[in-house]
Amino acid sequence: MFPKNLSEYAIVLLLKDKADHLFSFLIFTFIVTLLSAVLFVSDAIQSDLKVATLFQPDIVVENTLAGRAYTLSEEDKEAIESLRGVTAVEGAVDGYYYFAQGRVWFHVIGDSSLRLGAMRVGSGVYTAIKAWHYEDQFNFFTPKGKITLNIEQIESKATNLLCNDVIYMHPANARAVLDLGMEHYSKLYVTVPNPNEVGELTLKIVETLPYVKATSKEEILANYQHLFYYKGGVFMILYLVCMVSFLILLKNQISLVYGEKKKEIAILRSIGYGIKDIIAIKFIQNSTVALSAFLSGVGIAYLYVFFFQAPLLRSIFLGSELEHSVEFTPIMDMNMLFLLFIFSVIPFLACVILPSWKIAIADMSEAVR
Amino acid sequence: MKQMILRDIHKIYNASKPNAFHALKAINIEIETGEIVILKGVSGSGKSTLLSLMGGLSKPSSGDMIVEEENIAKLPDILSSRYRHEKIGFIFQSFNLLNGLSVEQNVQAPLMLSHLSHTHIDEKVMRALDIANIAHKKRQRVSDLSGGEKQRCAIARALVMNPPIILADEPTANLDTHNSRLFIEMLDTFKALGKTVVVATHDVLFEEAKAIDRYIHMKDGEIIP
Repeated sequence: MFPKNLSEYAIVLLLKDKADHLFSFLIFTFIVTLLSAVLFVSDAIQSDLKVATLFQPDIVVENTLAGRAYTLSEEDKEAIESLRGVTAVEGAVDGYYYFAQGRVWFHVIGDSSLRLGAMRVGSGVYTAIKAWHYEDQFNFFTPKGKITLNIEQIESKATNLLCNDVIYMHPANARAVLDLGMEHYSKLYVTVPNPNEVGELTLKIVETLPYVKATSKEEILANYQHLFYYKGGVFMILYLVCMVSFLILLKNQISLVYGEKKKEIAILRSIGYGIKDIIAIKFIQNSTVALSAFLSGVGIAYLYVFFFQAPLLRSIFLGSELEHSVEFTPIMDMNMLFLLFIFSVIPFLACVILPSWKIAIADMSEAVR
Repeated sequence: MKQMILRDIHKIYNASKPNAFHALKAINIEIETGEIVILKGVSGSGKSTLLSLMGGLSKPSSGDMIVEEENIAKLPDILSSRYRHEKIGFIFQSFNLLNGLSVEQNVQAPLMLSHLSHTHIDEKVMRALDIANIAHKKRQRVSDLSGGEKQRCAIARALVMNPPIILADEPTANLDTHNSRLFIEMLDTFKALGKTVVVATHDVLFEEAKAIDRYIHMKDGEIIP
């Protein structure tokens, strides 16, 4: 693309001013690292959410009044089962247990695949109870007495995003812990084989039982995604910081060209360098800086998120009273990275090449006297 | 043989503006190949402007400038750059070296536009450094050189492309007497190499030089007899 000797000389000139270029490189790397890290964390969370919600029911029915949860009865279950398009309704036992010693709430869910007396816990729960010397067993204190369950399994880290504070146990155990009667359910899980009918059936359930709230799987997923979405709240401040840093970087680049580099361009022009040669030199130099900074930024962000598990940033995304031990799955959204590349590297190059071109076309006789 | 013919050259800065300045008026000069010419005159007489026109650094407002049978007065940038690259070697008052680079890297600069191999580039650079008597400092940064050494580095850079024309604008203005004399002695070398040399200066030391063929006196943008 460019003559070999000219490319080499462009690098010689780049190294001559390494202090100036190092500043640009560091700022550019910082910006790309920050934005890439947010993208990586966000993408990893979205991916983990998809895995975690794979086995979610098609519709979840709850009895809520003024924001409070009430139980659902066997009659409610039968009324939903009678709707055309519904193949199964499973009564779920689900609620919150307050672990007074650790001062945290655990999400208790009934799971009929577990045997009586056994439980499966999220790793946040396990960390919290282990701090109080519970290793293989855990005691639930209820108004009717103490219930001891064995810890059989700790949830896999891929599902930790949603299961961090969850304890799964046999429904009979869950009823005992939550003090729930045998004819009552916390939620009803509805199976609808035809995905096109889910929306309509969600409405029908509410028509049949006006006091319930029916939420489709898609809505649940959307709610979770919104919770961990990278375009809202604190991230707008983060983007603003990046934007301001980037503008400072661009201003620095423009000042460099109009300052000391102006004389350098005039000298090169006087010894026979054409406008296109000057543009080529500036392009080679600044694309070297921009590309190396971009790749370094992405590389550092990758290590930061997937190797070191994003310290600090994870707390912004996963703020919770239980310590999160989510392991981010290495996922990269190439489209977003490409957009980041376009919106960072191209303005950076333009801010050098346009002023350089403007200087190169000017009368250089005064500058070299 | 005529190396350079200037016919009715005018240079007006800020033309058609209230602060228009007529820097050169009806300049007519003919310079023979291998001739060494001194442009003499006080500051503001138009010497440097004329030199920058001869070197293709700027363009005249009107008139023709024939160099080796090519009119350079209205060349587009790409040809004008090629003209400067192949035909002209500049030596400036302020040396105009690329600070931060070594002597060798400065002298290499014009050659980096070519497709020559590193071996050929090194040969040409060494030859130019030897002629300018600065080869022993080739690895040194130009910012660490004395004024005389910087001047010799600039001479080496001007010679490295082996151009037929050398243009020097006040080359001794920033040098002491000793180094000024060394530069004036360099004119003999230029002559021996067959270069056409035009020096813009008001330094009286040049009057000692035997290599000089002709003086052109300038005043207020005009040639005076």
